[in-house]
Amino acid sequence: MKEMKGVAPVAIAVVIIVAAIAAVAAYVYLKPEEEVSPGEVELKFWNYWDGTNAQAIVALISEFEAENPNIHITNVPITWGELLPKLMATVAGGEVPEIAIGDLVWMSKLAGTGLLVPLSEFDDFEEIDYEDFYPEMRKIGRYNDKSYSLPVSANNLELFYNKEIFEANGLDPEDPPTTWDELLEIAQVCTDPDEGIWGMELYTGTGEGLTWQFQVYLWQAGGEFLSADLSSAAFNSPEGKRALQFWVDLIQTHEVSPPGPWGFFGQGKAAMVMDGTWMVGGWRPGGWAPITWDWGTAQMPIPSGGEPATNMGGEQIFIFETTSEKEAAAWEFVKWLTSKETQVKWDILTCFMPVRDSVAEDSLYLTWATTTEPRLVPFIECQQYAHARPMVVQYPEISDAFSEELQKALYGVVSVDEALASAEARVNEILAD
Amino acid sequence: MKDETKAAIICIAPAIAIIGTFTLFPIFYSFGLSTTDWDGLSPTINFVGLSNYSKLISSGAFWNSIKVTLYYTVGVSIISVIAGLALASLINRTGGRLASFYRVIYFIPVVTSFVAAGVVWKSLFSPAGFLSDTFRSIGLSPPNWLADPIWAMPALIIVGAWMRLGFNTVISLAGLQSIPRGYYEKAKIDGAGALNRFRFVTIPLMKPIILLLLIMSLVDAFLIFDLAFVMTGGGPLGATNVAGLLLYKNAFHYYKMGFASAIGVMIFAIVLIITLVQMRLFKFGRRA
Repeated sequence: MKEMKGVAPVAIAVVIIVAAIAAVAAYVYLKPEEEVSPGEVELKFWNYWDGTNAQAIVALISEFEAENPNIHITNVPITWGELLPKLMATVAGGEVPEIAIGDLVWMSKLAGTGLLVPLSEFDDFEEIDYEDFYPEMRKIGRYNDKSYSLPVSANNLELFYNKEIFEANGLDPEDPPTTWDELLEIAQVCTDPDEGIWGMELYTGTGEGLTWQFQVYLWQAGGEFLSADLSSAAFNSPEGKRALQFWVDLIQTHEVSPPGPWGFFGQGKAAMVMDGTWMVGGWRPGGWAPITWDWGTAQMPIPSGGEPATNMGGEQIFIFETTSEKEAAAWEFVKWLTSKETQVKWDILTCFMPVRDSVAEDSLYLTWATTTEPRLVPFIECQQYAHARPMVVQYPEISDAFSEELQKALYGVVSVDEALASAEARVNEILAD
Repeated sequence: MKDETKAAIICIAPAIAIIGTFTLFPIFYSFGLSTTDWDGLSPTINFVGLSNYSKLISSGAFWNSIKVTLYYTVGVSIISVIAGLALASLINRTGGRLASFYRVIYFIPVVTSFVAAGVVWKSLFSPAGFLSDTFRSIGLSPPNWLADPIWAMPALIIVGAWMRLGFNTVISLAGLQSIPRGYYEKAKIDGAGALNRFRFVTIPLMKPIILLLLIMSLVDAFLIFDLAFVMTGGGPLGATNVAGLLLYKNAFHYYKMGFASAIGVMIFAIVLIITLVQMRLFKFGRRA
């Protein structure tokens, strides 16, 4: 090989490095401009709706585009677990979607970041009939007395039961339990260790799955999760102990509930489970996880002297600060999607719960629910008892810590009192940080 | 500067540019982030000195994560290296086409994604899954693998070792094939049985390779994240809450990018120590 002499090699090295940097810079700054005719706006919409919900949103977007020919919306489906990390990456990179949805528990953080457009500052905000949204949902996405998001979909947790297991054990399949005592009784009757069938499935894994299920029992018993000023834990109370004792009884004392992986009900291995509205859409024939045996739904059984309660899940929609033109176009879409007329269509397509009073009372919607999918009725009736999870930025960390401490009682490692006391200590420490 | 040196610089310049941008820069950036309270979203970043590290040192969750990560790392390394050597010995005796067939079969897991493997193994380990059914069919009562605080980590170790086995087998096989056959013949003449030949010929000559595989496994396994994320989510009772998962949760769920970066720096330091020990053992710069 002929050896290179002089400054040439160094020069070539410099050229290569400069070229590499230039290529990256060119990619970042000189990306071909999207071909947009004057007056037309391109928007990206990030959401984690999948299956039939994804088909529904795509159909609605086309409908909106037909009515608003100047606005083009690209639907970007991302999984639930990926959406927030991806959002963080794009925020750091300076390139955000114009519109996105978020889980309710993310909103306390997102609203305060200064990245979102305060929706209540739009001139025509009054026209959307804001008071028609359920009050618990209006609390979400509020920051400094401004609304940064609007409710777009909702769900809650109620009881699902396997009618065939009920019948096989001589129980009336049209008579689901209404109290905790009845739930325990039926669970005992249905449990069959030889067949691997459990009476009642509880969520015992680490994380929000456990926490948000347990909160239903806590609220039913009359307890609260955090103090009213959101500064400390409130679950270490007689009500909290009663709720946790009930879970420990189901798992440890009576062995009618399995500690462990989730999914027994869907495999036909559990007689009852508390699960979300979306599973009506999933488990029904033609759903995304159809099951062949007969099943029903009912309002969650309540403890004696307790009160009906459920946990409110769902999504809120929000707009990122970009240009005023894009923000205005995004606002048109958000208004349209959250309007009563669109929401009726959306809820019928997806089995989501109404977010507006007027939808829940709409005759078209009610006729559809009672005739086409009556198993949704307990969910619709109980949406009024849905509690919102506390709006604190530390909520995800609190939820994980809470679930880790409660697991110790569910696995029989510590007592109910000890588990709640250590959970209280950890939650208070996180809140004080 | 000698011309060869200059030519070398030119050849490695593109690689340096890429590694610098995508590896070195993020590493130093996260060193910086670990001294801030950045939440991962807000434009405001405050310098907080070493307070993330002092929180880390007093955090039970962090020490638990180091403990369970070491458990996983040591378990995977020992099992996969021993099993790899054993498999390589068997394949080495087979010879011919069959040997290349086995080599391919055992290598497949190495090129499988951890997420895909995790999802499949999760269903194998489930109470109604294949493994539990097999246990029952031979009259054993299976543990509730992933839901049992004692068995969850061994379950992850089984999968982790399975993922690594093929690599260790192929490298061990190459090592075995480089041992001159004459050594075995001489040992045979001296009256050494199969076991003694393995102990006094194979093991000493394979020592550098065994050591290399052990250390590569240690470094690689310490960075576990995907398997725990997919199969257990860190539970039950924190039994599989490995350091990589704790970092992820803090960064992307608890909005504590600064604190998560401090965890990252600690993982970096531990892997660095393992690597330095490796260099020592191999007398860095000389042949072992």
